[in-house]
Amino acid sequence: MISRAIKYVIFTVILVILQTKLMRLLSLEGITPDILTIWIVYIALKEGQLPATIWGFCVGLFFDFVTGNFIGLAALTKTVCGFTAGYFYNENKTTSMLSSYRFLIVVLVVSFIHNTAYFIIYTRGTDIGILQAVLQFGLATTFYTTTWSLLPMFAFARKYLS
Amino acid sequence: MQRLINILLIFKEYVVLALLLIVSLILLSLNDNNQIRAIRSYTVGFIGVMQDALSIIPNVFELKRENEVLRQLNVNLSNEANLLREARLENIKLRAMLGLKEHSTHSFIAGDVVGKSLLLLRNTITLNIGEQDSVRIDMPIISEAGLVGKVIATSVHYCTGQLMFNKDFRASAKIQRSRVDGIISWDGGEFLKLKSVAKTQDVREGDVVITSEYSNVFPRDIRIGIVAKISEKTGSLFRDIDVKPSVDLSSLEQVFVVTMMRDTERTLLEKKITPTK
Repeated sequence: MISRAIKYVIFTVILVILQTKLMRLLSLEGITPDILTIWIVYIALKEGQLPATIWGFCVGLFFDFVTGNFIGLAALTKTVCGFTAGYFYNENKTTSMLSSYRFLIVVLVVSFIHNTAYFIIYTRGTDIGILQAVLQFGLATTFYTTTWSLLPMFAFARKYLS
Repeated sequence: MQRLINILLIFKEYVVLALLLIVSLILLSLNDNNQIRAIRSYTVGFIGVMQDALSIIPNVFELKRENEVLRQLNVNLSNEANLLREARLENIKLRAMLGLKEHSTHSFIAGDVVGKSLLLLRNTITLNIGEQDSVRIDMPIISEAGLVGKVIATSVHYCTGQLMFNKDFRASAKIQRSRVDGIISWDGGEFLKLKSVAKTQDVREGDVVITSEYSNVFPRDIRIGIVAKISEKTGSLFRDIDVKPSVDLSSLEQVFVVTMMRDTERTLLEKKITPTK
């Protein structure tokens, strides 16, 4: 239990560094894939709703403090992200969920909810309207993030189905 | 108790979610950027509508008491207005004799306090007057007792006022008797603080503190409060002065927004000569 928590902390630190330093290099038209959302979906499918909610908050808060930009926003949206992803948790179907297209669907749904909340708040006080924030930024980031979740899905398929 | 714990355990996911969302929202509200200002503005509008809707329920006993207080106040003010009229005529005559420029006068917009937040370090009030009534950001808010604060956010029908008991509040002030200048602010304690007053300057307990003509936001000579306590810290060049505000912010119900706008020409000139980093 403790060793797993330590493993999650180490992964979180690595992924936050990757998200802040590396992922911006992969951005298309200003849209960056959110690997932290994929990570929280993984935790939710592996551990359940309650741990995913708490991990979502911790990951988001850590990301907020690392970026120093709008403290609390990622914590809020990643908490919602963990909670929503937790609804797809099934103790007996963890491996089949992670290694099939169902993982992509969960990432798609959760990412859309996360990005909608994130960009609606993030674009207030600017000329960008709510609809534009959801469609232009929210949907684009959702699809780009879902595309990136193919990588862990293939890795899990290789690990669990071989 | 055990039953409550059992219920909480059943809904533990929702309880944890609610707690984490509350923590996140508190963290969000601590930011001071465009997004949060815009969200505050929407919230002010929404809360204003709600509180306005609830305020139609009349409180008969409160109205009777208020009526008595207002009648008494009316008598006092009529008396004072007569004295002031005399003083003003005399002042105009003397100023004309000395060739001094007349102080600018401002009009007032009356508003009711429809919401208060007096629990945090950034205390605010919500008024039922807004952009439609010509209320703008940075306009001073006063009551019959003295300075209350200034407008920091507006919507069409409502505005939010930053009270003097707010960590972000600053106002140029002076001692009415000795004309000693200082800055009024609040450190989170029981009283306001008059800062930047050197130990050598003439300040006594009971002195009246008023707004100074140096302020670009507040009109001059508005009563702020009285000096309640003066203490001297060793190793500091300045006095530690506590000021008790004239306005009882906890029982504030009606206020006036002064239609005074920041003098942009003066601000630009002062910015131009202020050294930057």
